[in-house]
Amino acid sequence: MKKHRSKKDCALPGKNQVSELLILPDGQILVHNLTPLFAGLLRKLNPDDEQISSRVTRHLSLHP
Amino acid sequence: MICTAQERRLPARHVGVHALARPPNNPAHRGIELQPFHAGLETGAPRSVLARERARIACAMLADCRFCAHDCGVNRLAGENGLCHAGAEARFFCAQTEVSDELELIPTFAVALSGCDLRCDFCITGASSWNPRAGAGFDARAMAVKAKAALQNGARTTMVLGGEPTIHLPAALEFVSLLPETARLVWKTNAHGSAPARELLNGMFDVWLADFKFGNDACAQRLAKVSDYVRVVEENLLWASEHSELIVRHLLMPGHVECCWQPVAEWLAAELPGVKVNLRTGFWPAWQAARHPELRGTVSTPESARAVDLAQRLGLNLVP
Repeated sequence: MKKHRSKKDCALPGKNQVSELLILPDGQILVHNLTPLFAGLLRKLNPDDEQISSRVTRHLSLHP
Repeated sequence: MICTAQERRLPARHVGVHALARPPNNPAHRGIELQPFHAGLETGAPRSVLARERARIACAMLADCRFCAHDCGVNRLAGENGLCHAGAEARFFCAQTEVSDELELIPTFAVALSGCDLRCDFCITGASSWNPRAGAGFDARAMAVKAKAALQNGARTTMVLGGEPTIHLPAALEFVSLLPETARLVWKTNAHGSAPARELLNGMFDVWLADFKFGNDACAQRLAKVSDYVRVVEENLLWASEHSELIVRHLLMPGHVECCWQPVAEWLAAELPGVKVNLRTGFWPAWQAARHPELRGTVSTPESARAVDLAQRLGLNLVP
């Protein structure tokens, strides 16, 4: 049975970190709500990408 | 802070900011009797103190809500809803440290409040931005603890966004009142706020990160169901440039280079020369974008190049 989520459940603020990706057919990746942790992961995928590299901070464990 | 009807009993002098934008005899004004009052806003008191006072003022103003340019005038304390459908209580749908904003602002601890006064069909957070009941209840004190922890761990700024945070001024101001005086605060807005809202925000945020989405009212009406858009946004941007640091964002939409980006770019070049502009070319066909044929895809490479070329020809100060 499909579990329906209430509107109240549509986000889990304070519990989960959320980044969203849209991968285009030409290989471009668009990112929304990029977290430091995920920026680090994306840089590993393509260390030469300057846009991602500029967003990787030394503080990869920012979990308030 | 819980905004209740009791807030309406504040002495009239506390809501003087409300009088700044409306003639006293305006029949549309159904709120409290107002008198000019600036003392609390001009004493040079610490930001936290002013923010606390203004949060109380903002609560009272919910009784006749005119925070945004829709100017609904509904009594949110009594359960009435305006176009944003927001009640008196703020909720949030995301709060985390992010690095996807302007380089000079990141890492930023970003708090996204639920609900918005615009209805952009392409909104990337449409489900939460259109629904002020999405997410969880906003506890300013608990959120301030998280923000301070993030700042101590290396976040450079704290950002309040939405949805649209203007519709939740009481909560946003209370949040500010609980943050360190030295914290660098960013107000991420659709720039559709009212003059009374701006008055309450004066001096509260170091940076206004403001959208200028549409270059003409027809596109604004069709894509975001908002009228008189361009005038209101220009008014807000001019004000913000005089009262804080300002970064203007334009999300380039496919098929809207000439009708939207070009007039926006030309206006910025003429009226706000040198202002920081972030031209975002990563349009994402989210939410209900498919209602509009031209918004069913991403921005093409030639379109993006054309937009950047225009910005460079106009001498815009593009920031990453």
